[in-house]
Amino acid sequence: MITWEHRESVGWQTSLKSIGIALALTLLLTFGALWLTTGMPLEAFWQMLTYPWQAERALTQWGKALNPAFYLSLIALGLSISYRANVWNIGAEGQFAIGSVFAFGAWLLLGMPNGLWAIPIILLSGVVGGMVWAAIPAALRTLANTNELLVSLMLVYIGAQFLFYLSNGPWEMSAAMKPVPTRTESIPDSLLFTSVFSQGPKLHWGLVWGWQVYLVVAALLAFTLLGYRLSVANQSKRAERFAGFSPVGTIWIAFLFSGGLAGLAGGIFLIGDTGYLVDQSNFLQNYGFTAIIVAFLGRLNPLGILVAGLALGYLEGGAGWLQASGLGDDSISGIIQVIALFCTLGTATLVTHRISWRGNP
Amino acid sequence: MDLAFIVSITLDVLNFATPLLLAAAGILIVEKSGVINLGVEGMMIVGALAAYMVAASLASCGMMGFDGKTCLLDPLLGRWSFLVALLAGGLVGSILSLLFGFLVLTMRANQIASGLGLTILGLSLTNAIGNQGFDITGTPLQGFVPEEWRLSNGVLRLGTVNIVTLVAIATMPIGLWFLRRTRAGLVLRAVGENHNSAFTLGYPILRIRLLAITFGGFMAGVSGGYMSLALIGPSWREGLTNGYGWLALALILFGTWRPMRVLLGGILFGLTISLGPRLQNVDGLPGWFVPLFLPVLPYLVPIVVLALISFDATMIRRNAPGSLGKTFEPN
Repeated sequence: MITWEHRESVGWQTSLKSIGIALALTLLLTFGALWLTTGMPLEAFWQMLTYPWQAERALTQWGKALNPAFYLSLIALGLSISYRANVWNIGAEGQFAIGSVFAFGAWLLLGMPNGLWAIPIILLSGVVGGMVWAAIPAALRTLANTNELLVSLMLVYIGAQFLFYLSNGPWEMSAAMKPVPTRTESIPDSLLFTSVFSQGPKLHWGLVWGWQVYLVVAALLAFTLLGYRLSVANQSKRAERFAGFSPVGTIWIAFLFSGGLAGLAGGIFLIGDTGYLVDQSNFLQNYGFTAIIVAFLGRLNPLGILVAGLALGYLEGGAGWLQASGLGDDSISGIIQVIALFCTLGTATLVTHRISWRGNP
Repeated sequence: MDLAFIVSITLDVLNFATPLLLAAAGILIVEKSGVINLGVEGMMIVGALAAYMVAASLASCGMMGFDGKTCLLDPLLGRWSFLVALLAGGLVGSILSLLFGFLVLTMRANQIASGLGLTILGLSLTNAIGNQGFDITGTPLQGFVPEEWRLSNGVLRLGTVNIVTLVAIATMPIGLWFLRRTRAGLVLRAVGENHNSAFTLGYPILRIRLLAITFGGFMAGVSGGYMSLALIGPSWREGLTNGYGWLALALILFGTWRPMRVLLGGILFGLTISLGPRLQNVDGLPGWFVPLFLPVLPYLVPIVVLALISFDATMIRRNAPGSLGKTFEPN
């Protein structure tokens, strides 16, 4: 059995060391997972590492990596705000879904316009949608002391069913030949985000605008009282009250930020990637859940989350490439994500402690 | 309402409550030891796939031409193969929970994040294996639950209630007796209430918690196995457990860690799940009722009852284990 000793000095070196160990372990275990699933770990690993250069159209592959990377890090940044304050919002998937529902609903309410002026309204409605859905656990937590973790998660199922109901019921496309699966009308092309380059359809301008929101929120965390407030909230409620911050306010901040960013991601996804609503299994990409992993991989730090989001986005693209080249199944990406998460969580204690093998009683 | 209807709805409710109560029994012990394991959903779905795979291979080796294998086990096991498959699910669930135990106990990782990771791991693992490794989609398993294990024949249209249901209901009185009346239960509660005091008394905190976590994984695996073998199936599909692991976690909060209240909550949750199919054909309902309201009812009701129950903050504080979710750091 191992025991732990406090380190005499804790600094950026120990933090870096633990990240290095986590990375090495992740690579080792990923290698093992690839061995078990494909039987050709070296080949599979090489393909997943270099796929943008292997493919004929590199930009398409980069799009497959950067597109999920964007959604993951945007949602994860919001979640990190909540986790830093010890508020457990794990329902970003539902807030993403309701964000796109609100965004689409705004377009319908505006009378299905095709002028560019509608885009800000649509995206803002997405933010509002995510916030509304996140406000439910926040309200129940602050008013009735209800466990916010379970409520936010239950709302994922409800939000997904909402998406399914609307795209198959009231908002269903009215056409003689209905597509399978049934979906809503498409938002006109003039409103959809165009791609930044001539090729690479997934690299659209929505990502570029969205990154700026990311920067703004990250700056808020770094340079305003918000970041300090969250870390005080993480210590204890008592400390929070002493510092003059209301714990209730912190819970609301945590939920509104995380829900709003997830809702924004949903809105951008709607007018950047699909253009219509469809049933949940074809619309939702699990970004809300994977973003939880990204938040913890980035150790709840905006820069770390950016790196982690890029890494997992690259991994998603790589897993897709692996499947396309017939080497394995793309579900490997989920397994590698959890390997990375467990290695990161397992080595977090190494920042402040060292392992002692001497076994004290 | 005639008798047959009442019997059928009661059995139906109990049938849906079975996996919830089985998983909740494990969660109760884990949380009473002071650990939050949010990986229940993941362990359940892995248990569900494992139980289904074992059941499929046991059942089909009695048939001609399954992979050309000759079957040694099935004639020997006979009707016990249902139980063997269920236990296999439990075994795999407890193996997964050992990973969680290593992370949060030995490596002192964050319990909530590790549990969430375990859930995602379970879902990805089953997607990967269920997709490619073992083609089971078409394996016939009808009638796998042996006739003599069923409590009711011919009364039910939806599913069957079997002896596992009785075990699931019994877990709660047994849990109550264990926690209140046995020495081991007292030690478990002491560890969960204040791990520093229990450590000072000389109890091996980590070993006790690891045992509890393993038990929780076993029960979650059995519960998942019950879902894939008896409740939904016998069949397998991705995401089969459908949030039941989370419902079981909500059940513990609803019951405020008290077994008999958990039992009551299990019946209430079972009722909401079984209500959906029965209300579908009622006349005069608004258009959104059947496609929107009925499917979300099993997730909506826990939110409402949790909100109602948690209004009384002192009751939760009185019943929640004191060290719940805290990492034990002896030095």
